[in-house]
Amino acid sequence: MIELNNDVLSFRFPEVHAKAGCRIDFQRTLRIPDDNRDYPLPPGLGCFPVAHVDDHAEKLPAAWHRRGGVFLPMYQAEALWLHFSGGYPCAIKIAAGKINAVSGAAWTNDLSADQQDYVVTPEQPWLDGFNVSKGYIRQFVAMPLGEGYTAEEQIAGEAEHGGLQIIVYPMKREVYAEHFEKPIVHEELNYLAQPAYCRRATAEPDMGLAPGGLMRQEIYEDEYGTDAWDQEQGARCFVHMANSAMYQAITGRRPPHKPPTAMDYTRAGLPWFDYYSDGKALPGAGLLGKLTSVAAKIIEKGSLPLDGNDPVEPGAIKQLGKAHSVRDGEF
Amino acid sequence: MTFGQFIRDRRERLRETDRRFSVRQVAQRICVEPAYLSKIEREEVAPPSEEKIRALAQELGEDVDVLLAMAGKVSSDLLAIIRKRPTLFADLIRQLKSSPDHAILRVVRKVRDGDW
Repeated sequence: MIELNNDVLSFRFPEVHAKAGCRIDFQRTLRIPDDNRDYPLPPGLGCFPVAHVDDHAEKLPAAWHRRGGVFLPMYQAEALWLHFSGGYPCAIKIAAGKINAVSGAAWTNDLSADQQDYVVTPEQPWLDGFNVSKGYIRQFVAMPLGEGYTAEEQIAGEAEHGGLQIIVYPMKREVYAEHFEKPIVHEELNYLAQPAYCRRATAEPDMGLAPGGLMRQEIYEDEYGTDAWDQEQGARCFVHMANSAMYQAITGRRPPHKPPTAMDYTRAGLPWFDYYSDGKALPGAGLLGKLTSVAAKIIEKGSLPLDGNDPVEPGAIKQLGKAHSVRDGEF
Repeated sequence: MTFGQFIRDRRERLRETDRRFSVRQVAQRICVEPAYLSKIEREEVAPPSEEKIRALAQELGEDVDVLLAMAGKVSSDLLAIIRKRPTLFADLIRQLKSSPDHAILRVVRKVRDGDW
């Protein structure tokens, strides 16, 4: 079952194990420059507000109601990252516009045994974008559907779904017992850590995730194998993205103000982050590696350049690891 | 266990493996005087404000609603919800008081999955 508690999606599988579950929140962040240089991890600027689709059904597109789930507000060209927490191991598939963010493949509910198409928590504390090459991702950046920017439009050729799709599978009870409930006492890992395209056809005001700037982030290999995950107990959620004006019209609440630019943030001397783990990094997904980034697409289309896309030199880079993976930023 | 005892017990347990959980360092991180935190733990003063209890919960990895309840307080967001429909929520809570956890869990709203 999935609950929404204080803007955090809480996935629980009490039928598998009392501890089985994980939490996912959506962190506001600055958009890193999309200039083909690679950047460290940007900060978390707090959670996006998240609301039940069912609470505002009469004001939402019929397709949103049909898909269920939740929605959050995003400004055009705003970035986000997913923060995973909880100590019970889970396999999590994430897609943007039903394009898998790890493998680039079209959405399926099950886990792929051939090419890993999911992340494993708690080893993976967060995901900031599309897995474009080994050790690098392209940041999730929200863009309106129907203008050709999103990964969905670039790969599937259609602006049909938008949003984010998530499915979580807990580790099988017996596998958990084997690894974590032996007489040797293991501290439960709890990473309270901190560390978003094409034919114009849609009339619906939702957003999708496009590949933004290049960031150094590894996606770790599943050390347990697909058999470790209880695929009969998955829970999935469609996370719709409303542009900020639409969000205010639907909910009557103002969305958070825009995050600072990478330049403003860096000039203020605030920290960027690097995460170290001894986990083995997955190779990038070929399909995702061929995506055209937002800035490149803008040049291709002859549109106005992105604001706040000037290169920056992150000065203060904080090294994070499993033991101290707090990735909060204040501005 | 009382609020103060609970805080002390949890902090001490964490300190066994991590020295950052001394009274002085925890007090520093939640922005109170070490002497004040010590008095809270020894129950020489009343439990602190909701803000400080929230900071303590985050620091110690405990559930904020549990700590607030132990301190005899109700979270301000819950208070706002109850004040909007006091009779309804008072009635709901009284009716649920002896229900088993699984029955209460059914009342908690799930995020609905649809067709996609």
